[in-house]
Amino acid sequence: MNCSMMLRRWLLCLVLIGSGLLGGCASVYLDSGVREVPPHEMRRPANPAQVQLLFEFQTRGVANAGATKHLSPQVLDQVKSSGLFTQVSDVYAPAMGVLSLSINNVPMSDDAFSKGFLTGLTLGLAGSQVGDGYVCTATYTPPGGGATTTKRARHAIYTTVGATSGPSNGVKMASIQEAVTTMVRQVVSQTLSELSSDPKFGQ
Amino acid sequence: MRSILKVLNRSAFGWAGRLVALGVVALASGCAAVKMPESVGSAANQQKLRELAPVSQGVTFGEFTASTAALAADKGLSVRGSNTIEPRDGSFARQLRDQLVAEFKAAGLLSGSASLAITGVVTDNQLEAPIGTGKGRLAARIQVRRAGTIVFDKEIVASATWDSPFVGATAIPAAFNQYGALYPQLAGKLIDDPEFRAALRR
Repeated sequence: MNCSMMLRRWLLCLVLIGSGLLGGCASVYLDSGVREVPPHEMRRPANPAQVQLLFEFQTRGVANAGATKHLSPQVLDQVKSSGLFTQVSDVYAPAMGVLSLSINNVPMSDDAFSKGFLTGLTLGLAGSQVGDGYVCTATYTPPGGGATTTKRARHAIYTTVGATSGPSNGVKMASIQEAVTTMVRQVVSQTLSELSSDPKFGQ
Repeated sequence: MRSILKVLNRSAFGWAGRLVALGVVALASGCAAVKMPESVGSAANQQKLRELAPVSQGVTFGEFTASTAALAADKGLSVRGSNTIEPRDGSFARQLRDQLVAEFKAAGLLSGSASLAITGVVTDNQLEAPIGTGKGRLAARIQVRRAGTIVFDKEIVASATWDSPFVGATAIPAAFNQYGALYPQLAGKLIDDPEFRAALRR
């Protein structure tokens, strides 16, 4: 690709983004297939333990310190209110187990960017949709060490730009912030629920 | 402008969200600056430090500075023009200190009365995000003193390469994120170092 063609594409992309925003055409949807599991539906352990919570948000597997800091209080509150542990802290102390929670943001489609160009070339008439996948992994190590238990859950946020209807499996969110906080709440609850159902947990 | 990028940097937006938000920034001015977030201990490093906890009495942290070679980059690094990432507290060397403090504090290994003191000098600090492959490198000479005597002295290096696409709206936040991840990576390499672990044992 020569330089002038690259420049032209770059300019087209900026026009797309600017016109999409000015027209209010960017919409955010949360995948409807993942529900929030309330604490009363989780299986309480016979011997709940104190736990150190280690939370990390990742972007394509790389630690994202900004997002981690932003979401940590929400995740800490959620784990505390789950009732699965007697005490939850982000600082280690003796006699604590360890709950490592990560949420990895991965692209759902490698050619998503080219879809953006299609929207730009048709000035929003065709519309397009991109998806962000989120994989939540919980690894629990009981106090004093021992066998770890790992559980995973998945979620997705869809963004549409241009004149297009939302995905059939999506619930429209008022903002991307709402989509992110709801996604985190739902996927973390699913992971904790899976963890609580494991016979090895809290024995 | 800064507030837009601050929200962008702190939020968990997917790439589509970043594309839209950074597009606004790019349309408005073509440049921006973001500060690195507050340091937090990483899960991987906490697991490693927990193994040390029973055999280490804890550490204190002394001064972290930038070497002459890294001094020019100590207050900010720019990619693709004027898009700058800045340290939280005015110095990338202090940012590295803050990362290590966060790691050891979360692991319960930070002690104001410990006889082990860790200091550091940042020797290399680079970030590049050209079209093609992005590169980041952070190196620091770390020293550990036990009651004033040096028991560990080694340069630790963290580095990363990543796909750096043509569109800055995608490439710039990716570069900043990859650069930020060098700090816990360097901490992890330090914690993994057998000589460092030996120095921390009682």
